Amino acid sequence: MFTIFRFTFREFFTRKVLLVSLIMAAVFLGLYWTGVFYAVRDIEKAQNQMLASVIYPQLLLFGLYFGSFIVSFLAILSSAGIISSEVESGVIQAVIPKPVSRSEIVLGKFLGQGVFLAAYAALLFAAIYAIIYTKTGMKLTGSGEAALLFSLQPVVLMSVTFLLSVLTTTVASGMVAFMLYAVAVVGGVIEQIGWFMNNLSLKNAGIVSSLIMPVDSLYRKIVHVMLPPASNPMSAVQQMGPFGSSAEPSLWMVTYAALYILAFLGLSLYYFAEKDI
Amino acid sequence: MSLAIQTDDLTKHYGSQVGCRQIDLSVGRGQIFGFLGPNGAGKSTLVKMLAGLIKPTSGTAAILGERLGNIGVRRKIGYLPENFSCHEWLTGRQLLEFHASLYKMDRGTRSRRIPLVMDLVGVSGAAGKKVKTYSKGMRQRLGMASALLPDPDLLFLDEPTSALDPLGRREVREILVGLRERGKTIFLNSHLLSEVEMICDRVAFIRGGRIIAQGDPGEMGADHMVVELQLQNLTGGLLDKIKASARIISSGGNTVRVAVANKEEIPALAEVVVRGGGRLYRLAHEKVSLEEIFISLNKEGD
Repeated sequence: MFTIFRFTFREFFTRKVLLVSLIMAAVFLGLYWTGVFYAVRDIEKAQNQMLASVIYPQLLLFGLYFGSFIVSFLAILSSAGIISSEVESGVIQAVIPKPVSRSEIVLGKFLGQGVFLAAYAALLFAAIYAIIYTKTGMKLTGSGEAALLFSLQPVVLMSVTFLLSVLTTTVASGMVAFMLYAVAVVGGVIEQIGWFMNNLSLKNAGIVSSLIMPVDSLYRKIVHVMLPPASNPMSAVQQMGPFGSSAEPSLWMVTYAALYILAFLGLSLYYFAEKDI
Repeated sequence: MSLAIQTDDLTKHYGSQVGCRQIDLSVGRGQIFGFLGPNGAGKSTLVKMLAGLIKPTSGTAAILGERLGNIGVRRKIGYLPENFSCHEWLTGRQLLEFHASLYKMDRGTRSRRIPLVMDLVGVSGAAGKKVKTYSKGMRQRLGMASALLPDPDLLFLDEPTSALDPLGRREVREILVGLRERGKTIFLNSHLLSEVEMICDRVAFIRGGRIIAQGDPGEMGADHMVVELQLQNLTGGLLDKIKASARIISSGGNTVRVAVANKEEIPALAEVVVRGGGRLYRLAHEKVSLEEIFISLNKEGD
């Protein structure tokens, strides 16, 4: 299994995936830093503490939300062909007859891919955190827990995309994974609106979408971990809008996300073991 | 004789389609076994089942004495798929290092075997180049190197020379003969019948997913003979009479080529010609090539 794990991990460094990912992150962080820099400069100039306490958290949420976008896109793009592209090209025909079990191949690829994505997400989170902390001086809580949750997001998406890659073609698995991600994002926004309007149907729609794809719930949990409402009288204002989180997802939702990953890993192991190449 | 491969009623269905049906094969150790058949006959299906790429629907098989699917026995098996594909971003040497680690080779064995097999198949000069720069023939050679990496007791080769020029084919033949001399078993899937004929100890023909004939290529030739007749007065009526006693391969001018099952049918054939009014000037029987057996067997099934 470690041979496949090392190889999958190494593949990121040798192929263009890492370079493209780094360019994506650099462009995003560059724009983000520029936005934060000018916003903070103007607010400091105006010496408006009220504005600062509303805008600074919004800047953080904006960074985390679009940072999540980037790691999610990377998770889907890099996982859509993890098995299917090797089946389509025939590369896997030279690997399976070797003395490695199919479960070793799946576990090695899953871990290699998962560790890379989690590490990438953690670094992106650290960069966003550093920009916000150095520019605004905001005191943020639970950054360690938030970093873990942030790193879990691409792994959740990867686990679904991995199974799709076992079952279908690269194009089909990428498309379905993007659709599922869209369900999560739209569901998350609908739930936010539901809480804002106190509409049960919209809230339920959001909960169902979180069960289908729990990645957005993890983001909302991060928001609550970093901006806990109990210690903040401005909380209601800060949590408004699509990037906020009006209701904190429970710990069960995080547990659900972890079980979700394990379930999709189990299904990938089962279906790959049965697959005719 | 101990067996390298033994299959018993091995069958593969793809939904309602048949890949292979009730394959019973026995391949002795130290043999080069040729597996022949037209496109879509089920050759690759059988090889893929034996290599662990697809699962049989029913039946059993043993490879080097172990049941099909045993992971440990794969250390002694090399497999070259048809149209060998690999991770193109690696160099040839890196690819073999990866495959060596899949074979769980220790560092010492790796550093000894990799240059050896690269040299053997003639890609040493390109060892440091990325595989994406390799020609089709070089990739095929690299695939061969990968299959030879563990010094396998059993080698499955699916069309190993299809991308090679005549010189490359000859080199591969020499490698295979050399392996047989060292007691290795080779299961060879090929369309190149003349090649198979040159080196195979036994062959099997597959058609429509079933084995339709198997045996020693020389002995099989004895069962299928070609007779060439040169005669005058070759009328349509006479051709019909010849057709009734033997299968006509070709006819044109004063020459007719027919296939007979064995030598004993030749006098009767001559009698048919003479009694039918033909004036027989020459009758010659030839050794039948594997290609003619292949064509004959396929026509018999139509």
